[in-house]
Amino acid sequence: MDMKVVDNIINNVLNEGRHHLLETEAKALISQWDIPVPNSILIKGTEYQEIGMDRIKPPFVLKVVSKDILHKTEVGGVISDLRDRDDVRNAVIRMRRDLEENVPQARIEGFLLEEFVSRGVEVIIGGMRDPQFGPVIMFGTGGVMVELMKDVSFRLAPLDQRESMAMMEELRGYPLLTGYRGSKSVDRELLASIIMKVSDIITKIEEIREIEINPLFVYEDGVMAVDTRVILELEER
Amino acid sequence: MNTLKGIGFFFDPESIAIIGASPTSGKASHVILENLKRIGYKGSIYPVNPKYEHIDGMKCYASIADIGEQVDVAIFVLPASKVLDILKGPVENIRGVIIISSGFREVEKGKLLEEELKMIAEEKGIRIIGPNCLGIYDAIYGVDTFLVPTEHVKRPKKGGLSILTQSGSFAVLIMDEMATEGIGVARIVSYGNKVDVDEADCLDLLADDEDTRYVLLYIESVENGREFVDAASRCAAKKPVIAIKVGRGEAGMHAARSHTGAMGGKYEIYRAAFRKAGIIEVDGYEGLKDACRVLDAYDIVDGNKVLIITDGGGIGVSMADACEDFGLDVKRLSSSSKNNLSTRLPAFSAMDNPIDLTASAKDDDYFTALEEGFMNGYDLAIVTVLWGAPALTAGVVGRIYEVQTRYNKPVIICSPGGEFTRNMYRLFEEKGMPVFSTPEAAVRAAAVLTGRGTVRDNILKGAGPWI
Repeated sequence: MDMKVVDNIINNVLNEGRHHLLETEAKALISQWDIPVPNSILIKGTEYQEIGMDRIKPPFVLKVVSKDILHKTEVGGVISDLRDRDDVRNAVIRMRRDLEENVPQARIEGFLLEEFVSRGVEVIIGGMRDPQFGPVIMFGTGGVMVELMKDVSFRLAPLDQRESMAMMEELRGYPLLTGYRGSKSVDRELLASIIMKVSDIITKIEEIREIEINPLFVYEDGVMAVDTRVILELEER
Repeated sequence: MNTLKGIGFFFDPESIAIIGASPTSGKASHVILENLKRIGYKGSIYPVNPKYEHIDGMKCYASIADIGEQVDVAIFVLPASKVLDILKGPVENIRGVIIISSGFREVEKGKLLEEELKMIAEEKGIRIIGPNCLGIYDAIYGVDTFLVPTEHVKRPKKGGLSILTQSGSFAVLIMDEMATEGIGVARIVSYGNKVDVDEADCLDLLADDEDTRYVLLYIESVENGREFVDAASRCAAKKPVIAIKVGRGEAGMHAARSHTGAMGGKYEIYRAAFRKAGIIEVDGYEGLKDACRVLDAYDIVDGNKVLIITDGGGIGVSMADACEDFGLDVKRLSSSSKNNLSTRLPAFSAMDNPIDLTASAKDDDYFTALEEGFMNGYDLAIVTVLWGAPALTAGVVGRIYEVQTRYNKPVIICSPGGEFTRNMYRLFEEKGMPVFSTPEAAVRAAAVLTGRGTVRDNILKGAGPWI
């Protein structure tokens, strides 16, 4: 990874007095570790009339980018299943209107237009900095399992391949990864490498207090970070 | 001179001063004085108290400076503020102190005193164990600063277990239990508020301590988490380290913003730390006692393939279930082993794993079944002996022991039952085979051994101790 790019992202957030990275910033950060994120373009303020959509393929998902909005879906900040330029234009207009109504005070940085990614096995990879033990990594099967069943495992970072594999194996939801009722087994070695990358990120970047890829879709032959959160230490530097 | 480094002088001091010594029988400082004599402490003892000229026929000094000699360890049994007053004065001849006294961080008005204590010690280069602790019991070098009378709390014999604990009351009761169980102890450190010496210092010491074969940690909280993990890793690389964590309800990250922060209570992080360090966590008081008993008996197990032998079918099945839960491999018997056994065991025996000898079991059947298993790849055995089998005699103990020593593999005895059964425990224990009264306890103990085996294998592979 290019640590200069990483430092720029972090410093920019801190200089603006923020602690939450925007989704675009968080994804740019993990991309430096080659964690796959959906192809996307950022639509700034008035550009939506002339959107250059050559680099990404439909269908699309449109998400608001705002430092004032943490839960995008609740305020109408996510619209999916967009097929073409007209769909996108209309969606931008509708989203602007909804946001104006629901969160009038929110500052809008722009709109993230992402390629829709097909559903894989949902997992969550998190990292947090414990005051006594330093960086800790969490892995869990995603969606309802993490909230309802608390099906998660923890290890201290940094961790190796064997520890990452063990984090998966100790979950009740492990069969979801090895193939269950006819579904195919996912690429667990690749998944282990992503866990190790998250471990590396929080170990290397001391400003990070919490990081979370949720959900990460895992496939037979790949992974995709659908949403990512990064929260920096709250103390002033 | 001992072979212990760093804070090792606490365990083998050439001289001990008791600050606030009293001639009154039953007073804490007098109990310590008596216990030091009783354990045969070989160095000089200096009672210090301006009120007395002699205590128990020993010269009593008015102050630490009056001793006029180097003092390795000064034990304080005085009110907190008095401790500070004395340490602020001339104490250049002191190397380390054990502060038994409470009234420091654990109470609101003692917080400042403890801060001050820390500063004074750093300034003067004095090492501190405590405050709010019992100090040291060292069966190897003969030091006992525990202020509990031996009539109430027995002292364990010399052995390979060393215990590190924040809680003084835990130190007392585990020492008493170990004495009663006949488990030998090397060193016990009760470090209380750990203003200076903490678990990491002690683990560093015990890692290289040839008298310590295995370590038990009783943990309420750890402040220097990473130092703890590093020191525990070094120690676990050389010998088994087991831990019990109390106070599991503690909340995790304050005001966490993500699932990750919200999902993990502090206990999950402690568990992650234990795994990283190769520490085997035990559950509950019974669990830790059983872990000590099995580690006292056996050093090593090569894998996790467990053979279950029983003379009662039902208990064999519940044991196999428990093994699964603990990740032990209840490997099926090979067909050649089944053939070998079918001609030699009682007619109705179940030739699988578990091997059920049924109530027709004879002493020799245990020998036959156990030897067949150990010759054919099983790493350890849990052997259930139910004395309802009419043909069984006390001789079965010797027959099992023969195979155990010949193959040098762990045999854990499970023997539930009443008065007669319990009276037979002694026979197994005399041969060094630990006995458990429930299938769950036997399996849990087996899992401690195999857990340790995994840690050791990881280290041999150069892959760190973590499990």
